[in-house]
Amino acid sequence: MNRASFINSSMIIRFTIVATLVASFGLASGVQADSHEKDMPLVKYRQTVMAVVGGNMGAMADIMKNRLDLPGHVAVHASEIAEIAQLIGPAFKKNVATDATDAKPEIWQDWAKFEKAISDFEAAARNLEVTAAGSDPSAVGPAMKALGKTCGDCHDAFRKPEEESFKKKAESDDD
Amino acid sequence: MKPASGRRRLSGDHRNGHERLTRDLSRSTRSLIVGLVFLACAYGAIAHADTEVERGRRVFHATGGCSCHTNYPGEEDAAPLLAGGRPLETPFGVFYSTNITSDPETGLGGWSDADFVRAMREGLSPEGQHYFPVFPYTSFSGLRDQDLVDLKAYLDSLPAIKRANRPPGAPFPFSWRATLTGWKWLNFDPQRIEEDPDRNAEWNRGNYLVRAAAHCGECHTPRTLTGGLDESMWLAGSVDGPEGALAANITPHDETGIGKWTTPDLVWYLEMGIKPDGDSTQGLMSEVIEHGYTNLPRSDLEAIATYLKSIPAIENELRVE
Repeated sequence: MNRASFINSSMIIRFTIVATLVASFGLASGVQADSHEKDMPLVKYRQTVMAVVGGNMGAMADIMKNRLDLPGHVAVHASEIAEIAQLIGPAFKKNVATDATDAKPEIWQDWAKFEKAISDFEAAARNLEVTAAGSDPSAVGPAMKALGKTCGDCHDAFRKPEEESFKKKAESDDD
Repeated sequence: MKPASGRRRLSGDHRNGHERLTRDLSRSTRSLIVGLVFLACAYGAIAHADTEVERGRRVFHATGGCSCHTNYPGEEDAAPLLAGGRPLETPFGVFYSTNITSDPETGLGGWSDADFVRAMREGLSPEGQHYFPVFPYTSFSGLRDQDLVDLKAYLDSLPAIKRANRPPGAPFPFSWRATLTGWKWLNFDPQRIEEDPDRNAEWNRGNYLVRAAAHCGECHTPRTLTGGLDESMWLAGSVDGPEGALAANITPHDETGIGKWTTPDLVWYLEMGIKPDGDSTQGLMSEVIEHGYTNLPRSDLEAIATYLKSIPAIENELRVE
């Protein structure tokens, strides 16, 4: 018992030392550590904005791949995406260093490249909007593909891959 | 006499002229025929070459555009097409893809069709060296001779680029080609993909595309300890996908696979790279779509979808450690 409690108390001491070290390391990075909690609603908002884009992409895909007879709908979804695209830059302006995001640090390391990716994305959405409202139905598929490519290009550069995604980690931690 | 001679001469002239005309005619006819035959042959050769290259382009797209052989991640738009040098991380170390352009020194320029067929089917270089199985000859061995020859014709039609191949960065013994004799003995049987008479043509086409050309199993099937495909988990996803990425479970399991995807969902995905929820595709998969599958005829994409929906659904939730 004594021996066991000795081990336990020594473990507690060691744990305290490690915890103190970790905490002081955390303090060294200062206000940032403090701001994680505060910034979580911002991270959540960004994810919701992205889900809105994904929802519009998915809705357009539903129409096109199943050839649903809904004239004008693709153009509206494309327009929505172009509008939302303008919110992405401001929403990501603040660098929130937390694991609870799939945003890569490269966003803030190369902000100009990130902004360029967003403007390419917006332009592709506007192009799809115009094409979908135009008279050549065969041009809509390629315009959609071009828009999808801007999603992928930006995600490749600035979103963590699935194997690093915080969502996957959270699922694994549940086990 | 004169007139007679003249006549004779005339007739002689006429006869000579006639002969000459006949001779000329027959000569011109012959040269015309020879010319036509030559033209027909030349046209035939060009037309044949064209169809060979055209057919080869389709095989090329069915492989995913041989994307591993272009260093898109490292060099982006400046990456020389099919000139290799792309690092491929595997559990056995880093391997660099090779130059498959028609450059005679650093690429496949000096190769015969037979060399190419042997490399793809047996994993052997023209000099008889084993290739590391990061090159998926395990799948390509199922490609038909004609498809292989056509693919080579298409590769030969692209610009030759000089770029020397890089040796692997894998540790011993995985960097040692002699090890591969044992590896092949354990894990490699050249596959023959037979038509299944109980299935329709679309399914058979899909089976051929998925198993051989598109080599889906190489990434989407988990591997055994020795690096062979675990056939009991066929297409059930792998956490050790290419370049250290996750490769999704693409069996028709409802919760952990793509069981809820419809055929239009699958066709659309292979055309656009957009998932049913509107999300985009990352990594090597987005490349094989962009440089390969998206260019396939709709009928091939539908065949792939038909096959994928027919295989056993395997429950396998992918998790990272």
